[in-house]
Amino acid sequence: MQDMDISSPAAFVNGGLLRMHVGRKVRTVLQVTRSDIGSVMGRSTDGCQLVAKGSPPVPLTSYVEVIGVAENENTIRAELWTNFGDTFDASNYDKLCQLANGELKHLFL
Amino acid sequence: MFSSNQFDAASAFSRGGFMPSQSSQFANSTPSQSRDTQGLLPVTVKQISEASRSGDEKPNFIIDGVHVNNVKLIGMLFNKNVRSSDVRFDLDDGTGRVECRRWVTESVDTREMDALDREGTYVRVIGHLQSFQGKTQLNVFSVRPVVNFDEVTCHFIECICCHLQNSKGQLEGGAMAQPQMTDSSLSTPVRGVASNGYQPALTNNASVQYTTDGFKGFDKLVLNYLQQPANIDREMGVHLNELSQQLKAPIEKIKDAIEFLEREGLVYSSIDDYHYKAVEGY
Repeated sequence: MQDMDISSPAAFVNGGLLRMHVGRKVRTVLQVTRSDIGSVMGRSTDGCQLVAKGSPPVPLTSYVEVIGVAENENTIRAELWTNFGDTFDASNYDKLCQLANGELKHLFL
Repeated sequence: MFSSNQFDAASAFSRGGFMPSQSSQFANSTPSQSRDTQGLLPVTVKQISEASRSGDEKPNFIIDGVHVNNVKLIGMLFNKNVRSSDVRFDLDDGTGRVECRRWVTESVDTREMDALDREGTYVRVIGHLQSFQGKTQLNVFSVRPVVNFDEVTCHFIECICCHLQNSKGQLEGGAMAQPQMTDSSLSTPVRGVASNGYQPALTNNASVQYTTDGFKGFDKLVLNYLQQPANIDREMGVHLNELSQQLKAPIEKIKDAIEFLEREGLVYSSIDDYHYKAVEGY
């Protein structure tokens, strides 16, 4: 298909998968544990502590989706933030991350 | 003629997607129904970008071997452009961007679009794929903001599910090109048929469980090695060199086997192009 923009797709990641995409665009959902000026610390859907750098929305809900570039195995330089509310099924999302990085990744990247 | 080991999910829904229930018809599909139009298919923009087309007069999109009528996507709305008779925007679902157009004829349509005024709002869109001046576009007739974000997860899981349903049906249809199920037909290499993908002339009036009997013996050896529980458990997968050492075969032969198995959807590359894992559940 010509003229379809599939540039810079964002890979679904959890804490463990982030290291496979360092330097590339990723997306993940964090459960916010701390928010400072310029960064948010949160728990990934597989229980890792990750840092999202940037300007989070105010106010921030318990869960936030972060889309940005993976700086290293536990930091994302966030470009887009979306409040995902105070209730969210983290384990479903985690399963999705595994599937989207496994044999079904051609549907996403 | 019909295998008693028919894949069970086929009876749950005959094809991936949302259709008026035809669940009992999988085994008895007539040729005209075999690869019929989907009612509503959840997809990613990436899938749309890879859809093939059939028909010269009426552009018809084909995803995973089925004609696609309406699609559902979830993503972020950008670049909303309100015009006199329509509203245009881009939908970015993280796998790509697609141009959308919503015709606004009733005030309810206008109100629906007016409510979406923030860039990057998560929306669910339902629309019809079409080609306009060589570009793929979505003619949207429903745009709703996402309120419960579990819906985002759910949508992508549905995309995966429907893809698997439709691909499995496509593989079985492909393997059953000959109407007579004799042993000699099963032993012909599956490679040449299934790898062709969508075949409009195919009839699907016999459903037989997909078997690996058509494999070359060596392909099976590679697959068996990857399917060993110890290797399934290895997160990184198995390196091509290891396969070469363990099976005492040259790398080129391993690569050929892997290429075939990957095309059949039985193995996939894990951390890089040199590590592979077997798909579970076969």
